[in-house]
Amino acid sequence: MTTKMTATQAIEVDGEGAAMSDEQPQRIARRPRNQFFVFRGTMSKRAQVATSITASVVVIAVWEVATRLGWINSLFLPPPSVTVETLWTMITQKHLLWNAGISTLRVWVAFALSVVMAVPIGIAMSSFRGVGAALEPIVDFIRYLPVPALVPLSIIWFGVGETTKIFLLWLGTFFQLVLLVADDMRRVPQEYVEIAYTVGARPFQMLSDVAFRAMQPSLFDNLRITLGWCWTYLIIAEIVAADNGLGFVIWAARRYMNTSEVMAGVVTIGLIGLLTDQILRLVHKRLFRYL
Amino acid sequence: MAPAPYLVFDGVTKYFGDLEVVAPSFNLDIARNEFIVFLGPSGSGKTTLMRMVGGLETPSSGEIRLRGQAIREPDRDRGMVFQSYSSFPWLTVAQNVAFGMKYRLDLTPDRKKARLDHYLKLVGLSDFSDAYPNKVSGGMRQRIAIARTLAAGSDVLLMDEPFGALDAQRREDLQIELRRIQQQDAKTIIFVTHDVDEAVFLADRIIVFSKRPARMLEEVDIAAELGPDRTLELRDSERFFKLRTQVLKFVRAAAGHDN
Repeated sequence: MTTKMTATQAIEVDGEGAAMSDEQPQRIARRPRNQFFVFRGTMSKRAQVATSITASVVVIAVWEVATRLGWINSLFLPPPSVTVETLWTMITQKHLLWNAGISTLRVWVAFALSVVMAVPIGIAMSSFRGVGAALEPIVDFIRYLPVPALVPLSIIWFGVGETTKIFLLWLGTFFQLVLLVADDMRRVPQEYVEIAYTVGARPFQMLSDVAFRAMQPSLFDNLRITLGWCWTYLIIAEIVAADNGLGFVIWAARRYMNTSEVMAGVVTIGLIGLLTDQILRLVHKRLFRYL
Repeated sequence: MAPAPYLVFDGVTKYFGDLEVVAPSFNLDIARNEFIVFLGPSGSGKTTLMRMVGGLETPSSGEIRLRGQAIREPDRDRGMVFQSYSSFPWLTVAQNVAFGMKYRLDLTPDRKKARLDHYLKLVGLSDFSDAYPNKVSGGMRQRIAIARTLAAGSDVLLMDEPFGALDAQRREDLQIELRRIQQQDAKTIIFVTHDVDEAVFLADRIIVFSKRPARMLEEVDIAAELGPDRTLELRDSERFFKLRTQVLKFVRAAAGHDN
């Protein structure tokens, strides 16, 4: 009887949490002290938000003061106040939102294309050894090619229109994503697969009802991360071949040493990223309430 | 002559590459409604034997027959209860149990509902039917798995150390419950464990295994000594202790048994 008595049970004997969840020993006894630097400590939601805001405000304040006092030449780094002002002028007079919209649209179109292709192919790669063996070396090879190195080739192939931009974004994300998806599928516990089979599921039913369902939370996380990479490649694509979009705006401003417009463009990308990420986190929470 | 055996291991061996997991050759006849416990050291290959009954592994030679039919792949008549990942986190307790009937076309929705309620009640989870597995205890999660397997209508239950992660008290409760279910619903069970107490308490018959490669060292007829009903009082009885001590000796011998 004793051989299987593990640490899990030992914790329970003296812990008050014994009534529930015997497989979760992570609830370490709470002590009423500052949780700021406690490893995996707890913090109230309110305290976390307050900390996040305070940290951001401090960064912005230091930046403002440093440029105002001339520690940093504001020609190279305009203070936040000027950046915000420029941002406003660009929105009202220079179609910044329109350019941001175009960029966002490009990102989402290319991202959607990547996802639609990568999810089934990635699943197939880790589900069927033959598909994996055939595709993995190819994907791995292309994955290591830096996207900028393929810019000349894609311009030769597709000219400087939308196709090139979408192609470059797709190139930068698809090959990464396909491996991440394959990995998500690979990590679905074999037990889940076997439960499905032993209650009479056929292989396709197992895949759609169990394996695909089980991988969704981590798949969603990987999609969220990959979407961020899309923005990296977008700027490259818009710098080399575009007459609109945020990359173009930033690059055009650089020509006239208009650093405040450059900064405003960069900040816009950051804000879009922040907003998208928050929305996706919320969606994640909604979709996977059971986690 | 006894009636034709229900589940038969016929000359079974198993290799994973060069690794001999089940020594040539394993033979065992199991009767219908019998509770068999495979007892032996960890990693001895007893789980592999059980998985072959489930159709999740194929014997390297020999075959396993259920009702005279050779087992080739997993199916609903042989349900598995695993030690971990035993329920789907994205389904509620009730949905997890109902999953056992998802691919049964022979049941009407009303019938499924009735069976769902029946098995939820049987394992004492009716009050938690809408909870997600992460909100219930490990013992409850194991009961979800048992109820799902029963709801699937599996005649044979294959249980791989299903109570391994539980504390002593909950483990005892579930053992009593499992034995009761087995008697009530007339299931044939193969139960893998390395816990001698658990083995003696649950089994009609214990098969003691050697270290890998698995071979049968002893066969102990518990039912002949303890009868079909297993209660808490039995657990404290002298009969139980004697039997337990005897089996423990076999297990010690098995641990020292170097091929």
